[in-house]
Parts: sequence; C-alpha cells; structure tokens
Amino acid sequence: MWIALMQRLTAWRLAQQSAKRRWAEWDYLVLDIETSGLDAKQDHIVSVGWVCIHNGVIELDTARHIVLDNAQIGDNVGIHMITDSDVQQYGKRQESVLRYLRHLLKNRVLVVHHAPMELGFLKHAWQTESLPTFSLSWLDTLAIERSKANRAQQPIQDGGFRLDACRERYGLPDYQGHDALTDALATAELLLAQIAYQGKDCRLYDLNQMGGGRARLTCR
Amino acid sequence: MAAIDIPEVHKFIEAIPPFSGLSLLERKQVLTGVSMLYVRQGQTLVLKEDAATVHLIRRGACEIRTPKGGLVDQIADGECFGVSSVMAQNPDGLQVVAMEDSLVYRFDKARFMEMIEESEAFGLFFEHTQHNRLRKLTRSQNRELSSPALQLSTPIAHIMTRQLIQATPEETVQTIAMRMTEARVSSILVVEEGRLQGIVTDRDLRSRILAVGSSSNALVADIMTASPVTLSPDSLVMQAQTLMSESNIHHLPIVDEEHRAVGMLTAADLLRHQELSPLLLINQIHRQQSVESLVHVCKQWPTLIINLIVTDMKAADVGKVLATVSDNLTRRLIDLALEKFGPAPMAFQFLVFGSQARRDQSLGSDQDNGLMLEREPTEEESRYFAEFSEFVCQGLGLCGIRLCPGNIMASNPEWRKTTAGWQQAFSRWIKSSAPSALLHASIFFDIRCVYDNGKEEGAAVKDLIKSMQLEVSKNSVFLATLTRSALVTKPPLGFFRHFLLESSGEHKHQLDLKHQGLALINDLARLYGLSCQTYRVGTLDRIEQAIREKLISVDTARNLMDAWDKLNGLRLEAQRGHFQATGKASAYLDPKDLSPLERKHLKTTFSIISDVQDVAQQRFLRGYS
Repeated sequence: MWIALMQRLTAWRLAQQSAKRRWAEWDYLVLDIETSGLDAKQDHIVSVGWVCIHNGVIELDTARHIVLDNAQIGDNVGIHMITDSDVQQYGKRQESVLRYLRHLLKNRVLVVHHAPMELGFLKHAWQTESLPTFSLSWLDTLAIERSKANRAQQPIQDGGFRLDACRERYGLPDYQGHDALTDALATAELLLAQIAYQGKDCRLYDLNQMGGGRARLTCR
Repeated sequence: MAAIDIPEVHKFIEAIPPFSGLSLLERKQVLTGVSMLYVRQGQTLVLKEDAATVHLIRRGACEIRTPKGGLVDQIADGECFGVSSVMAQNPDGLQVVAMEDSLVYRFDKARFMEMIEESEAFGLFFEHTQHNRLRKLTRSQNRELSSPALQLSTPIAHIMTRQLIQATPEETVQTIAMRMTEARVSSILVVEEGRLQGIVTDRDLRSRILAVGSSSNALVADIMTASPVTLSPDSLVMQAQTLMSESNIHHLPIVDEEHRAVGMLTAADLLRHQELSPLLLINQIHRQQSVESLVHVCKQWPTLIINLIVTDMKAADVGKVLATVSDNLTRRLIDLALEKFGPAPMAFQFLVFGSQARRDQSLGSDQDNGLMLEREPTEEESRYFAEFSEFVCQGLGLCGIRLCPGNIMASNPEWRKTTAGWQQAFSRWIKSSAPSALLHASIFFDIRCVYDNGKEEGAAVKDLIKSMQLEVSKNSVFLATLTRSALVTKPPLGFFRHFLLESSGEHKHQLDLKHQGLALINDLARLYGLSCQTYRVGTLDRIEQAIREKLISVDTARNLMDAWDKLNGLRLEAQRGHFQATGKASAYLDPKDLSPLERKHLKTTFSIISDVQDVAQQRFLRGYS
C-alpha cells in the first residue's frame, strides 16, 4: 500500500517534470520488433532491434540486434532476412531479452513507429514469460506524424504513414535493409527530424500530447 | 563502448573517402562512439565541447562561414566539417550552418584523433581538407574587403585629369573661351608664375560675362574665382566628393605642396570612377566619326555591363539598357554607312531579331539582323545594300556584338527581303511546321525595327507582324508543333543532387542557365505571345499581354515572370564572374558561386518552368498530342 502510493507519487512528479523539461533531457530507447505475423496472440517475436538517444543525439554504440531462439522462420525468411541458422547460432532466449529490455527501459522512454503493434507483442510476450509488472512511457512516431498532419490540415495519402514515407518527407535517406535494427535506427532518425521541426524548445510533454502515453506490461 | 554493427552505417561509410581506405576493423574503430543528429535547415551548429569534433554529413548540405558570415565552403552528403575544430581548436571561429535539413554523424573526438595518428593516409586527407578550407577562407576574406567602401578610398591622383588647360590672369575672356571650346572642357585654371591663382568655369562665363552684358575683352583676372577650393593629389575620392557637395562646385583643382596645379577633378570624373554610365557611352557612340573610334569607345562596354550587374540593377532593366546601347550603336553604324556609301536608293528598315529584339541581351550576345526593303532592288541597288550591310554587321562585330554563327545577318543576301518577301517567308515557316522552320520561327518571331529611313516609322514591320499573327491564328497545327518543340527540353531538376555531390570533385556539374533555363521561358512566352491578339516582343511583355488577354492565369504568369527574372539575374552574375576571370562570357553556372538561398530559389524556379510547360501542354496540345 505504502509502496504503491510512493510509486504513484513518483509517477506524478515525473509527469510534472516532463511538462517543463526539454525533450533532450530525457533518454529514449527506440525499438523495432520483427514478428512472424501481425497478430500478437498467434504470432511471435522473431527479432528485436534498438538504439538509444541520449543528450538529443542517437548513440550508434547502443544499437543492438537480437534474434530470438524460439523464432520459427519458415516462409518469412524473405521478409526479415533471418535464417534458421541465424537462430541456431545467435538466438537468445526471449525471457532474457525481455529482462534486458526491461532493464534498459527503466530510465528511458520507449519510442516505436506504430505503438499498438509493438506494445501488443510486448504485452503478450510479458504474459508468456510471466514477467513482473512494469510501467513505461512511450512515444509513437506514427501518431506524432498523424497529429502533425491533422494540425496542419494536410491530409496524407494511404500508406503515407509508413516509416519510409514519413522519412522521405524529412529528407532522410532511403534505407535498403528492413531488419529490426535498421528500422529502429530509421525510427530514431525520424523522431529527431520530427523534433527538429517542432522547434528548439520542444518538450517531452509536447511530444506526448502528439502521440505518446503510458503502458503497463503485466503477467496477467 | 562497443563496436557499431549497423549495416546501413557501414554501407555508407565504406563508400566515402577517406573512410573507404580503412580496413573493416579500422572503420569499426573510428565509428566507435559515433552519434547522429538531425539539423534543421538554417540552424547553426556550435562546435564546442563534445561537439568540437569531425562531423560527416549523411544526408543534407551545410555551409561553412566565417564569424562575420563570409562563405568559406559548401558541403553535402559524404563531406566532413569540424576538421579544424578537432585539429586546431577552430582558431578561425568558423561556423556551420545547415542549408538543408541534414542528418549528420558526429565522431568521437578521441577515437578520431587515434585514427588520424594511426593511418597516415587518413590523417593527410583531413589535413588537406583543412588546408583547402583555409585557402577558401583567405579568398572569402579578400572578397569581403573589396567592398564599395574601398572605391571611396581611392586616392584622387588615380582618377584626376592631368592634361591641364591653363590661362594667365591677363588674357581676355574671349581667348580663354576659344581655348576651352577647342579642348572641349568646361573649366580653365588660371596660373601665374606656376602658382594656381584661380579658376574660370562655363558657369562663370555665363553669369559674369553674358548675363551682365560684359565685353568679351574683359580680363580673366576680373571674372575668375580667386583662390578656389583645392585638394592635394593624395586626398581620397571620398574627401573630394564631400568637399564638392559641401561647396556646391563641380570643378576641383588639384595642387601640390607649392600650390602648383597638377590636376583637375570634375564631378564627371567622380561619376565615371564610380560607374560608367550607359548614357555616357551612348553619347560617346554618337560622337564617333569612324568605325575605328567606335570600336575604341565600345571597349568600355563590358565594363559598363559589369557595373550594371554589380549595382544590382534588375535583370530585365539590364537587358533594356543593353538593348538601348546596341540599338544606338546600330543606328550610328548605319549613319556612318550612309555617309560612306551615299544615301540609300529606297526606303528600308533595319530589323533586329532574337535577344536584341526581345531586349534581353547580355555579355557576349551575338547579332541577329536583317533588312526589309521597300521594293525589289535592281542589281546595282543590290550591290549597294550588300556593301552597306557588310559594313554595319562587321562594324557591330568589331564593336563587340559577335557575328551570328548561323549567319542570320543583313550581310547575308537571304535576309535582305522586301516586305512581301518577308511575309512569304513567315507564311512558309508557319505552314511547313518542319524542324528547320521552327528553328527559324524561334529567332525571327522576335522581331523589332531599329532604323527606318522611310516616312512612317516602322509601319512596314507592323504590317509584317500583323500578317504573321493572322497566319498563326489560322493555323493551330503550327501552334501545336511550336508547343511540342517548346516542351522538348525540360528544366534540369535533377541537377541539384549531382551538383552537391560533385561540387568539390574533378567533374563539376555545370548548369547552362541560358539553354536549360532562360530559353525555355522565352519559348513559352513566345508561344503565348503568338497566340495573343496584340504582338509584344519582350518575354515579360508577352507574358503580361497573355494575362491581359486571359490566356494564362495571373498566378502562373507571375511565377513565370519571377522565374525569368531570377534566372536572368543569375545568368548575368555568372557571366560577370566568368568575364572577369577569363575575359569570356559564359552562361554556365559555377555551382560554387551559388548561395544556399539562390540554390533553393533555383530549384523552385526550375519547377515553375516545368509547371508552366504542363499548363502550356494542356492549353495548346489538346487534341494534337
């Protein structure tokens, strides 16, 4: 009871701070998950890629690409270019990967492109592995892009919110590969571009308003 | 810190010198600790603390500027900045400004220094880059110095007249008036025992002799301005200017320490020093009595053009001024020809085509002209006009308006026709729609009369234009063909990426502003101009007329006019640069000379041309394409 109250107080204080602090004063983990399909209940995670943002710049050192050992590759090899031998050679247990991710996310804001999908898989994986409950803040670059378009009253065509299409609007390079790591980096660059267009005083609070929120990952 | 294993990063880095010369292991080493930032267009990067290190542009373009804002370098994808920061703490205080939104890799300073020490080639590359920048920096600072302020600080000795017209106080007014007239000067210095005693100007003769009814036998001493205001030869132009405007005088004697007259400075000298005026040149042209002296006078022409460009005159106005000068030169040559060969046996008009007709000449424009005769000439009369035309065209050539490489000149018998002959020629071109006819059309449809010895000034040309326009309006196939040919060349929109990538390399991409830009607008304007009821010859006039006749929307037209102005300005500027550097006027744009704003404008400009081409296609090609 007492601990729960303290936690809520901490959360409230953080929320208060976020209203004032510039975005660059926060740390971010930009994540992309490759999956075997679109349904979190039936399909499973094949690989994850991430990169961190610290002091307003992407730190390329922090980039990771991890293939899961339970990945069933089958017909999807053409999509994410991960082969059965990759899984055998490099595959990590999903549980340890998630624990590592949880560790990294403790002091960081999660950034993804199209949050419902990534969060759905994370939530499901949390249940599968029966991990302890964990709360996190997230930003969705797709949602941010959509809010921007709505504010500017510029309708964007079908497919215009795909990662590549969003990046093109900011003059970001066209990346050939589409593994989890490249997409995580691509998303991180997109976030920086979106923030650059918000002006130099952009706060995390502002980004949250455009496309962010809090999520609880539970084992139940 | 761990090694970076991001395929997209490696793929980029390994294609960029000097990184391409590193082994995979070395590349991983130099990449360790690299961060990535996104810089918004117009933002200045502060290269301090952690950021005082080498940066590599992944995508985008930046400028390196001096603290005062002078341009040192422009760099883009695959090029580095911050080299001097890492190697010598940026002693020049150079700044980096993003010209485009840019994605930039920032290297870890310590790792980078390690690599510079480890790999000789790698280190040399950056030393060379730094050296290169320094050279550019010096150049940019020199340019900052050559401001107009420098002009004002020229010593008077450089621009004063040294040939002095002098008189003694005892001479009569009449004798000095005669001397002044002979020497074509407006003032005379009064000198006694070598010392300057006074000055007499035209105005003194008027106000102190004529106006008061004094005799021309009056003595100089009685009417001169004694002890006039003077300056020493080492005074500055600015001092002379101030003194003359404060004392309200136009003549300033220059004297040495012993008060001996050494020179004379007039308001005209000052004006000439600042800029050679077109009026002055036209006046001089009309005073010349021979082709040789005209050639001599016209040597100032390039200087005049350069002055006009430097003074930021609007491109359209520069074109008009140049057309006025060349019209006057043409007329003077015709007068000289008439003096030499005797009066013409019949009425004739001297026609100009192309750029002189459109009044958008520039440095190094060539001549396109012809003659329109009252009637078929006899053999003898033919010979007269042949000699006459040869004289005028060669004269123009010697004076700096190059001979037409396509031989469209009055000296070519084919382009000396009667009014009916010209009408037939136009009619033939319009009906045939052959490529050669279209080529002719693009030159001859821009037509203007600069000399008419008949009674009705230019009336015959007006008739010619009227019949030509009637013919065009009856022939929509011709307009469609003309449209198609106007749309063949597209503006070089893909140019910019290349330019950025290769701006520092050996194979510089250059842009032909005339043929890839201006000519396209001229073609479009001609197309619209020919479908108007009222004929206009200038490109801007044609577009305006098309607005008036509602053939084109106001927005489209305005955009196109802006585009024309913009390109013309750039062309003149490019020509000026080339001319001053090489003595030749080339309309090729040297990418290095473009400012970021100009680059952005140019992109927009080209897309406007492309848009209007689409609009024209809609309008003139419906049913024909």
